[in-house]
Amino acid sequence: MNSTAVIDMRNIVKTYSSGSLEVQALRGVSFSIQPGEYVAIMGPSGSGKSTLMNLLGCLDRPTSGTYLLDGIDVSQLDDNALAQIRLRKLGFIFQGFNLLPRTDAVKNVALPLFYRGIPLRERNAAARERLQEVGLGDRGNHKPTELSGGQQQRVAIARALVNDPAVLLADEPTGNLDSKTSAEILALFGRLNEAGRTIIMVTHDEGVAAHAKRVLRVLDGLIVADQRPEGTLIES
Amino acid sequence: MISYITEALSVLLANRARSVLTVIGLVIGVMAIVAIQVCAAGMAGAVNGVFKGMNANTFYVLPKTSQGNNTRAGLHPSDLQMLESLPGIETAIPWSGGRTMVDAGHNRVRLKFGGESDKRFSTSPVVAGSTITSDDVGSAASVCVLSDNAMTRLFPSRTAQSVLGQSIYIGSKRYVVKGVLGKAKLDTAALGFDVSNDVAIPYTTYYNNYQRGSAFFGIQVLGSGSAKLSDLENAAQHALEQTHTGAQYRTFDFGFFSKAIGGFFAVVGAIVSAVGAISLLVAGIGIMNIMLVSVTERTREIGIRKAIGGKRFQILAQFMIEALLLSGFGCFAGMVLGVLIGGFVDIFFISRISGVVAPVPWLQIVVIAAGFATIVTIVFGTYPAFRASRLDPIEALRYE
Repeated sequence: MNSTAVIDMRNIVKTYSSGSLEVQALRGVSFSIQPGEYVAIMGPSGSGKSTLMNLLGCLDRPTSGTYLLDGIDVSQLDDNALAQIRLRKLGFIFQGFNLLPRTDAVKNVALPLFYRGIPLRERNAAARERLQEVGLGDRGNHKPTELSGGQQQRVAIARALVNDPAVLLADEPTGNLDSKTSAEILALFGRLNEAGRTIIMVTHDEGVAAHAKRVLRVLDGLIVADQRPEGTLIES
Repeated sequence: MISYITEALSVLLANRARSVLTVIGLVIGVMAIVAIQVCAAGMAGAVNGVFKGMNANTFYVLPKTSQGNNTRAGLHPSDLQMLESLPGIETAIPWSGGRTMVDAGHNRVRLKFGGESDKRFSTSPVVAGSTITSDDVGSAASVCVLSDNAMTRLFPSRTAQSVLGQSIYIGSKRYVVKGVLGKAKLDTAALGFDVSNDVAIPYTTYYNNYQRGSAFFGIQVLGSGSAKLSDLENAAQHALEQTHTGAQYRTFDFGFFSKAIGGFFAVVGAIVSAVGAISLLVAGIGIMNIMLVSVTERTREIGIRKAIGGKRFQILAQFMIEALLLSGFGCFAGMVLGVLIGGFVDIFFISRISGVVAPVPWLQIVVIAAGFATIVTIVFGTYPAFRASRLDPIEALRYE
């Protein structure tokens, strides 16, 4: 763990309580991710990986522990400050694409720029550039319903990239795609990572995880394995 | 800010069906309130106008009935001159006449008959010939003017033009028809206070033929319009009581009637506005409902917006601006429709029937409706917007 890490989680605990019942979803998770890494987080359902993803994505606050994102302690920020962090530091890619319906690709990609207060013309120009980058330069005016699953996911990737985030967070990015399209999306992730993007991907698919250069395995609210591509297994 | 408006507009346009449904309630509410206000204003104005046109400067003076047969109180031609000499009074004519048998050769019918001057108070148009002139009055000519009613009953199936120069008989006296009137624009007889005659002859002729030596029933006085009617009435009453020592007189005019009618329409307008306000309130609740449904329906969208970095107030602002745009549009459409419908009814029914183009306080009506609609939207748009802004992004994203 060091200060150059883009992600630095120290002893993160997350407890959900409903009534008298307390559920510890994360029981003290510590790890760090350096800029330019390509990490897969794996684990069965109920293992706490979704909770970890929500915390990594600044959608939620840990019950205890410290989380430094790009050097900023985000563990106890308020909602608006978290929104600001999500806007500036993170790019989300979801399993269900989560594009705005009835809204064309350019507008979808430009949405984060709207929340940054960038003027319309610049927003649209930047959005078109990002769509070009993911190979959808000619689909800018199509609505999500007029695009295939793979194309929709690429629009979502363009949207995640539009604010030039410190980390790309992908939650089962190929979960809704067929194998051929999945391969295309993973190839795109590979290219982005080679270009220097930090990517964190949650998946339960070993084949998908194999594309990453590092795999974190979560079980019962703990990280049980931290595997490097060399095959070195670091028990944590 | 402009970004928010364009963003809100693009959202509304992308969801046209939802947007249209949302504003329909508001459109109808505003439309109803504007149209009805315009109609009520037009109606009250028309009624007032009709009364003013007929009776604005006219009042009636007559001996008080409580004094019995006080012969001193009898009104005579000398009183006419006395009243006409008062400042502000133009003409004083006997208020006389009643129902009598009128003979026109083949037909004998009972009609309202009386003496009139060359001053006309009636709104009935002249369809043939002319009305009584000052020369007729001066020379006490044996001429008459027939109303539409007299015309159709005395001379059925004849044209007004062909009746001119014909003779009618009342008792032993013969009168030559010199003019025929058409239907009154507003049927005051139906309102129960018609004082116009079916057969009108010069009041001098009437006095010579029927009332010489006896007193008038009353005197009809026309003011010049420069003085207040009530002042003139007081002056006339006072002057008559001075002349006829010991006698008492009373006066009346139809001002009370037009005031009563005006008051009536003001009350109707107020009630209708209240109903309109309630309908706007209902429309507002409808908007809130649809916006709430919209928040639910758009939970996922809100989740996406929050996940990618939309702040609370940004979501709030977006929903508020959407609501305001919707209400602005609904309000505008409602006003245009309301003005069109109200204006149509006012021009083609109220004004045409009454013959009076009454001023309608358009600006006031429109400003009130717009203001009310805006308040309704802000009040009812705030809650759904607040709900939307408070959604938890994780929950919202999981929402199907």
